Amino acid sequence: MKKIEIGHGSGGKLTRDLIEKTFMKYFRSDELKPLEDAACIHLDHDRRTAITTDSYVIRPLFFPGGNIGKLSVCGTINDLAVSGAVPKYLSLGLIIEEGFPIESLEQIIKSINDTAAAAGVSIVTGDTKVVEKDKCDGIYINTTGIGEIVIQLPARNVSAGDAVIVTGTIGDHGTAIAMARERFDIEARVESDCSPLNGMLTPLFEIDGLRWMRDPTRGGLATVLVELSGATGLGARIFEDRVPVREDVRFIQDMLGYDPLYLANEGKAVIITSAGSADRVIEILRAHPLGKNASVIGNISSEFNGVRLKTRIGGERTLEMLEEDSLPRIC
Amino acid sequence: MNKIEDLLNHIKHLVPDNKKVRIMNVCGSHEHTIAFSGMRSLMPANLELVPGPGCPVCVCPESDIINAINLSNREDVILVTYGDMLRVPSKEGSIRAQGRNYRMITSPSEAIRTARENPDKKVVFFSIGFETTTAPTAAILETGVPENLFILSSHRLTPTIMEILVKDAEIGLDGFIAPGHVSAITGSNAWNVFSEKYGIPTVVAGFDADNLMMGIAEILRQLKTGEVKTGNVYAGVVRPEGNLHAQRIMDKFFEVADVNWRGVGFVPGSGLELRDIYADRDARRVFDLKEIKEEKIPGCICGSIILGKAYPDTCRLFKKACSPKTPKGPCMVSMEGSCNIWYRAG
Repeated sequence: MKKIEIGHGSGGKLTRDLIEKTFMKYFRSDELKPLEDAACIHLDHDRRTAITTDSYVIRPLFFPGGNIGKLSVCGTINDLAVSGAVPKYLSLGLIIEEGFPIESLEQIIKSINDTAAAAGVSIVTGDTKVVEKDKCDGIYINTTGIGEIVIQLPARNVSAGDAVIVTGTIGDHGTAIAMARERFDIEARVESDCSPLNGMLTPLFEIDGLRWMRDPTRGGLATVLVELSGATGLGARIFEDRVPVREDVRFIQDMLGYDPLYLANEGKAVIITSAGSADRVIEILRAHPLGKNASVIGNISSEFNGVRLKTRIGGERTLEMLEEDSLPRIC
Repeated sequence: MNKIEDLLNHIKHLVPDNKKVRIMNVCGSHEHTIAFSGMRSLMPANLELVPGPGCPVCVCPESDIINAINLSNREDVILVTYGDMLRVPSKEGSIRAQGRNYRMITSPSEAIRTARENPDKKVVFFSIGFETTTAPTAAILETGVPENLFILSSHRLTPTIMEILVKDAEIGLDGFIAPGHVSAITGSNAWNVFSEKYGIPTVVAGFDADNLMMGIAEILRQLKTGEVKTGNVYAGVVRPEGNLHAQRIMDKFFEVADVNWRGVGFVPGSGLELRDIYADRDARRVFDLKEIKEEKIPGCICGSIILGKAYPDTCRLFKKACSPKTPKGPCMVSMEGSCNIWYRAG
């Protein structure tokens, strides 16, 4: 009998298999079909609404740079923002383990409120369930987000010659969680980049050449680009020396043997724009505190399919989607 | 960029026109750099960069893994070892799947900590690796370990296996990139035998792509001029005599032994076991561990890959039945294994 494996929750190949073979066998709505980060729904004729939902099972619950509460707000807001929507409302579902300290719960709730307020989003409905001791790992959170769609950014917008942009250093969240989880004898403090991106991304909606956006969470930058290539039939070429990676993150990941290109981010976006508007997009991003390290890291090509990395020494290698989940329960 | 272009041009200039040149690295970190920098795509077609036995996890005998599983299933034992070792498959499964009392550690000092925290248990440190990990294990023995800590030594010697490779005409090596970290312990003099006895240029290199390419260029230069001698392009870290203190304590606690390498077989004088006077620390003797016959993994060619007789992508299991998630052979398990590196580097 086939069973659910931890990798089915990785957001990678196994998750996609599960969605396509088991869920899509039964769910047929037009809104769901594109399988984007957020669905576009029509509640009345003139306005389009974006809706998305996400569950958070991260371990540990508190980590440098955030906690499960802050993450549960940022993750959902970011899914709306990269879908071209202005996030407005959030629901909050809590599944709490019997015996969980109220003090920790309050800390989490306070973070949720602070993060949502700073991002201009209201928590408008919620639900609380408690399960017996050992039936869940402290607390799990689900948030659903609703936003107003300003611009639709389907993958078919993307064409050869477009620029690939990343809004900042990659791999910070994955590294912070790995460090928080294991007893490594390494002295370094890397904070998760966990942040709401709507403030930085909304001004981009006015740019003509804006094509497509995605937040590279589980599976990281490489996985997002492989998915884009799969959806468009185009290739992406990125340059290793243009991809911003913090020095300490690079050092730690070298030691652990992970590749920052595949590590989770919770406060970054990958943006595809026309070549002509790339400079303007970078200018807007860099004017925002979360976008100081925004960089054009490569381009879209019709000459090949898939993702190719031009290395620092000029060598080339293919980036594939990994089945292996190096760090489960990262969000 | 200029420096790299110069190096590449230099390499192209030094490679002979119509002869294949095979240069082997014997270090997982070197192979990592080569694969992840896409270095092979930049080399002249007749220059082959061959990954060799650079992964200690991969060559650890199945017998030791099964013994470790059995030890971890004893009520009175906690087995501690490096993370990759927990996942290496054997005919009895892996330590993680079939073992019970085991912990992952990242350094030998954590083995001491585990022993101190669990005074009523016997803590067995399954200590594997080449000279780089032998030295830290010798260091904890030198500083003194708790009474309840025992060592299951599966340490291997790099120069000995390299000599086996050099003598094998089927492998046909023209040069070695010697491992930087191992050389820091052994000294670059440890490789003199290859130039002096076999006429094979051997050059110590560090771990970034530039330094490795400098090493490759030096090997090619020696092949071209015929001035074959031990080279060192990592002289900031590696001295000719090496780390004498590390060598002294390794020699104090360990003696050379005739041992098995997984997928390769019996190699005389290629391993290290605790000396007789430290028999009371030696898990093999304290727990009376027996040698268990190795079973071949159907379809797996890890043995040939370790010896540089085959590349990972020529294995029919590679990226099909065998992936880091479901490794069939040892070279797919460890981050230092050639198959694992090639899988991840794409």
